[in-house]
Amino acid sequence: MSKRASISPRARPPWTVRVVVPTASLIAAAVVGGLVISMSGNDAFEAYRTILDSSFNGVRPLTRTMTLATPLILTGLAAAIAFRMKVWNIGGEGQLYMGAVVASGLALAIPSDIPKPLMIAAIVLGGAAAGAVWAGLAAIPKAYFNADEVITTLMLNFVALSFMNYLIFGSTSFWKDPKSSFPQGLRIPESATMPRMSYRLHYGIIIAVVAAVLLWWVLRRTTYGFEVRAVSDSKEASRYAGMRVNSKLISVLAISGALAGIAGAIEVSGVVKRLDPTVLASELGFTGIVVAAVARFNCLGVIPVAVLLAGLVVSGSSLQRLGIPPEIVFLLQGLIFLFVAAGEFFLANKVTIASTVPVQPAGNGGLANE
Amino acid sequence: METTTKAGQEILQVRELTKSFYGVAANDNVEFSLHRGEVHGLLGENGAGKSTLCSVLAGLYRPDSGEVWINGRPVQFRSPLDASEQGIGMVYQHFRLVSSFTVAENMVLGLKGRDRTVSLGQVEGKVRELASRYGLDVEPTAHVWQLSVGEQQRVEILRQLFRGAQILILDEPTAVLAPQEADRLFDAVRQMADQDHSVILVSHKMEEILSNTDRVTVLRGGRNVGTLGTSETNAAELAKMMVGSEHLPEAIQQVVGQFADKGLVLSVRELEVEGDRGTPAVDGASLDVVAGQIVGVAGVAGNGQREFQQAIAGQRQVAGGSIMLGGRDVTRLGSASGSRSGLAYVPEDRLGTGLASGMTLEENLILKGYKELPYSRYGMLRPRLIAARAEQLVEDFDIRGSRSGLPVSLMSGGNLQKAILARELTRPHDLLLAASPTRGLDIAATAAVRRHIRADAENGGAVLLFSEDLSEIIELSDRILVMSRGRIVGSYTPETLDIGELGLLMSGAKVHG
Amino acid sequence: MNDTVLVLSVVSAIAAGTPILFAALGEIMTERSGVMNLGVDGMMLIGAVTGFWVGVETESAVLALLAGGLAGTLLSLVHAVLAVSLRVNQVISGLALVIVGGGLSAYWGNLGGTAADGSADQALVQTKNGVSIDPIFPEVLQDLPVIGPIVFGHDLVIYFSWALVGAVGYLLYRTQFGLSLRAVGEDPGAADAAGLSVSRYRYVCTLVGGFGAGLGGSYLSVGVIGTWAAGLTAGAGWIAVALVILSGWRPWAALLAAYVFGALRSLGFTLQISGIEVASEFLAMIPFVATYLVVIVVSANPARARKIAGPAALGEPYSREAR
Repeated sequence: MSKRASISPRARPPWTVRVVVPTASLIAAAVVGGLVISMSGNDAFEAYRTILDSSFNGVRPLTRTMTLATPLILTGLAAAIAFRMKVWNIGGEGQLYMGAVVASGLALAIPSDIPKPLMIAAIVLGGAAAGAVWAGLAAIPKAYFNADEVITTLMLNFVALSFMNYLIFGSTSFWKDPKSSFPQGLRIPESATMPRMSYRLHYGIIIAVVAAVLLWWVLRRTTYGFEVRAVSDSKEASRYAGMRVNSKLISVLAISGALAGIAGAIEVSGVVKRLDPTVLASELGFTGIVVAAVARFNCLGVIPVAVLLAGLVVSGSSLQRLGIPPEIVFLLQGLIFLFVAAGEFFLANKVTIASTVPVQPAGNGGLANE
Repeated sequence: METTTKAGQEILQVRELTKSFYGVAANDNVEFSLHRGEVHGLLGENGAGKSTLCSVLAGLYRPDSGEVWINGRPVQFRSPLDASEQGIGMVYQHFRLVSSFTVAENMVLGLKGRDRTVSLGQVEGKVRELASRYGLDVEPTAHVWQLSVGEQQRVEILRQLFRGAQILILDEPTAVLAPQEADRLFDAVRQMADQDHSVILVSHKMEEILSNTDRVTVLRGGRNVGTLGTSETNAAELAKMMVGSEHLPEAIQQVVGQFADKGLVLSVRELEVEGDRGTPAVDGASLDVVAGQIVGVAGVAGNGQREFQQAIAGQRQVAGGSIMLGGRDVTRLGSASGSRSGLAYVPEDRLGTGLASGMTLEENLILKGYKELPYSRYGMLRPRLIAARAEQLVEDFDIRGSRSGLPVSLMSGGNLQKAILARELTRPHDLLLAASPTRGLDIAATAAVRRHIRADAENGGAVLLFSEDLSEIIELSDRILVMSRGRIVGSYTPETLDIGELGLLMSGAKVHG
Repeated sequence: MNDTVLVLSVVSAIAAGTPILFAALGEIMTERSGVMNLGVDGMMLIGAVTGFWVGVETESAVLALLAGGLAGTLLSLVHAVLAVSLRVNQVISGLALVIVGGGLSAYWGNLGGTAADGSADQALVQTKNGVSIDPIFPEVLQDLPVIGPIVFGHDLVIYFSWALVGAVGYLLYRTQFGLSLRAVGEDPGAADAAGLSVSRYRYVCTLVGGFGAGLGGSYLSVGVIGTWAAGLTAGAGWIAVALVILSGWRPWAALLAAYVFGALRSLGFTLQISGIEVASEFLAMIPFVATYLVVIVVSANPARARKIAGPAALGEPYSREAR
C-alpha cells in the first residue's frame, strides 16, 4: 500500500476551485512575503497595513495608485490578448519605449498651437503605431518562419531600451534638451500634456479603462473577436472552418504592441512630460505580464489587478519610512506571480491523494491501432 | 516462397491472457505460443486485439489475468525494461528515435549498466557487425534524420538486437515501407529466424503473412480464432477467419440513388497525397460520388483514408491527380480559400478539427457561419439570433448534455457528433464527407447519426462515408469501395457484394476479376 | 607593453565576461535538457547578494562563491518544480523568478542601512570592504609581455571557468549522461520510451543552471565589481540567455561570445569604426540584435541550420499521457 497522488486533467474547474485557488495563491504570497519581512527584523503586519494605507486609504493615495495603474492596465491588456492565443509577447517593455519615443517626438515636432484633444490623439496614435510596428518585427518572422517570439520580443526589448538611452544620453538628438547641463529629454509643450483630473491623476486612466472595455467588447461581440477566440482555442478547428490563422496572429500581436505603445505615449504625456529613459524603464512591460497572468488573461479582470499591483508598488516610499527597504514590493509582486502561476496547475488538473495498491504502469507506448 | 513449419521448441507461451480497458475485453482468454526460430504471423483487423497482446508481451500493460511463460518459466513484466531483459524486443510503428542523433547514439540511448564514457567507436563496430549478420545495412555514423524510413526501421530493429533480444515483435512493419524495402525487411527477418531468433509479425496484410511466416494466428474480437501452419492454409480461409460471418447483417439496406442523373458531385482521379513521413499515403486513388448516393469506403485504418479525407477537405496538400468538387477543380486550393464551402465534413477527430473544444456549443454551431447574416451584421455578432439557432438545432438533432456557456469538451461523444452533424448538415452543401461517424457512440446515437446520413442522401446530397465498421458500410451504402494501400481496389453494390472477397481486399491481397 | 589599451581591454573583457560565462554554461545545461529558464538574471542577482554577504561575514572568497551558487540553485529549484512537475508555462515561471530574484536581492541589500536609529548595522549596499579574490600566479609570470596578464593574470575563478567549459563540453558529448540529457531535450518521448526519466534529468539540469547563474552573480559582486548594488547585473543574465542561443548551445562558442560581450560591457567607450563614431548604446545592442537575427535565420532554414538549432523540445512541458 502506498500513498499516491493521482493527477487527472480537468475539462473545466468547478466554480469553487476557481475561487479558492487564486485566493489561496494570494494568501500564500502574502504569507511568504510576510515571513521574509519578519525574518529580516521587521513587523510584517505593520508593513501590510502601511501598504494598504498608503495606496488605498484616502483620495491622495488612491490617485497615486491609479496613476501607476494606468500604464499597467494597458500593458496588462497587451500581454493578455497575446498570451491567450499562446503567443508569448514579452516585448511589452520595448513596445512601450518605442511608443514613448514616437509620442514624445511627435509632441515636440507638431506645432503646439493645434487644439489639445487633437494633439493628444495624435501622439497616442503615434505611440500605438510605434508599438504595433515594433511588435510586428517579431510577429512577421513568427507568422512566416515560426521564429520563437519569446526570444525575438525579448531581444527587441533591449534594442529599444538602448535606442531610447542613446537618444538622451548618447547623442544630441531632437529629443534632447539643449539647455540642460545634464542629459535629459526636452519637455513637451503644454498642449501635449494630458489634462489632470485631480492631484497627479490624469485622463490617461480613462483611456486605459476604455481600452480594456473596448477590447473586451470586441472579443465578445464582433466577428473579428470571435475569430480571435476561435484561433486561441483551436488552430486546427478554426483553420478547418476557413479562418486565416496566420493573419490573426499578426493582427493580435500588432494590437498587443499598440497597447503597450499607447502606455508609453500616455506616460510621456501625463507623467514624465519628456522622454525620460530612467523613469520609463521601470519594468512596466514585465509588470504588465504579471497583471495579465494574475487576471488570467481576462480583459476586464486586468483593471482591478492592475490597481492592486499598482497599489503595491506605490507604497514603496511609505515602507521606506518605516525602515523597510521598498524593494519588498517587487518581491511581493514576484511572489504573487509565482503562486498564481503554480495555481494554474491546480486549476487545470484534479489532484487526489489516495492510498492505492500500485497498479500497472500507465505506459502509453502502445501501438497505433488501438 | 516455400515455408516450412519449424517444429522447434516453444520459447514463448501465453496462457489465458485477458486484458480489459474500460470494461471491454481487448484480449479475451488468449492462448498463444511461439517456437524458437520461427516467424509467426499475428493477423487480424483493427481492434482485434493484436496491439494489446503485443503490448503485454512488451511489458507495457499488465494483464488482468493469465500468464506469460518464457523458456518454460512464468515471467512478470513490471515495465518494458523487464521485457527487454527477458529478451523481448518490440519495434513499433511509430519510431522512437531521436532524429538529430546518430544511429550509434540511438543504439546506446537508455542502455543501463554502461560505464560513464561512451565509446562510440566500439558501438559503431558492433552495429556494423550486427548489420551484416542480419542483412540490416545501415551506416552507424549517419544521423537518423538523414535516413530513409526503411533505414530508420532497421535502426529500430538493430536497437533490439543490440540489447540481446531473442524474440522480436514487429508491429505492422510494412505500413511505412515501399515494396522493395519490404522485401529487404523480410529477407532480414528470415536471417534472424535462421539464427534462432523468433519473430512475431503483426499485420493485417494477407500476402505478407502468407509469404513470410511459418505459422499464423488470427485474432478477432479479442480472441484467438485459430493458429495454423502457413503452408496449410490460404488467403480465403484466413480472410474468413479475420472478418467472420457475423458481419453480414440481416437485411441489407437498399437505398438506391434516385437522383443518379443529377450529376457528379465529387470526382477524384489518380489522387496522390503524401503522408506525414514523406511516403505516399494516397497512391493513385480514384472515385466518383453522385448526388443522392452514399458511397462507403471500407478498409483497415492506415491505408491512406485519413490523408484522403484531409485532401478532399482542403487540409492537406495534393501531390498529384485531381479533385473536382461540385464541378470545380479544387486540387490546388486549401480550406482557407473558401473552396470547400460546398463540403460538409464530419471528421474523425471531433474535438480537434471538428470542434473548438474550449468554446460553447452555440459558438461551435456557428463556427463556419459566423460571418453570414443573420448571425452577424457589419462585423458584429448577434447573440440572440445565434442562441435561437442553437436552440433550434439542439431540438432538431437531439443534442444533449450541453449547458449554456460551458465548453463543448464536457459533452459526450455522441452529442459532439450530433453537434458537428447539426452544424454541417444544415448548411447548404453538395457533399457530405463522414469519417468513422459512429465510432465510440452508443446504440441510440449511432442510429441517429446513421439516420441523418441516410436522410442527407435522400434529400439529394452526395455522401462519401469512411468507416472501419463493415456492417455500417454495408447498411448505409449504395456503393461499397475498398481502400487499401492508398488505392481504391474494389467496387460493389449491395447485390454484388461478396464478403469473402471484401475481406481479402481489405487485407491487401490481390483479387482477380 | 602590458599597459596598452589592447591588453588591458582583453583582460577586463575576460573578467567582465566570466560571470556571464558561468550563467551561460549553466543555462546551456538547462536548455539542453529541454527547459527554458528565463530567470537567469534573477538568479544571478540572488547569487550576487548572497555571495557578497557571505564574503563580508566570513572573509572567505570560496565560501562566498559557493554560497552564491547555492542561492541560485535554490531559486532555480522553484523553477524546476513549476516547469517540470507542475508543467506551468516556462516563460511565466522564469519571468516571475527574475522579479522575485531582483526584488529579494535588492531588499536584502538595503536591510539595516536605513534604520531610523542609525545603528551600526550597515546595509550591504553601503559595505565597501568585501572579500577580494587575488590572482594566483606569481608576479613574475604576470609581467610577461602580452601573455602575462592575459594568460597568467587571472584569479582562480577564471581558470576554473576555463576548466568548466571543457568539462561541460566533455559531459555533453562524451558521456552517457550527456547523451541521455540531450535526448531528453531533443525528443522526450523517445527518451521516455528508452527508459530515461525525463523529469529527473530536467530537474538536475535546471539546478545546475541555477548554480551557474548564482556562481556567476557572486563572482560579479565579489570578484569583479567588489560591491553590491541593486540591479548589479545590469542585464547580464539576459545577455547570458541570448548568448546560449548565439553560441548554438555549445560551450566553447559560449566562451568566445562571453568574452566578446564582456568587452562590450566593460569598455563602454565609443568606438571609431572607419571614421564613424558608434555610440556605446549601439554597442550594447549588439548581442541582442545578433540573437534576433540568428533566431530568424535559423527558423527560416531549419534543414540547413540543424547544427546550431536548439534542442527540439525546448520549452515544452512533457507529459507521458499527452503523447
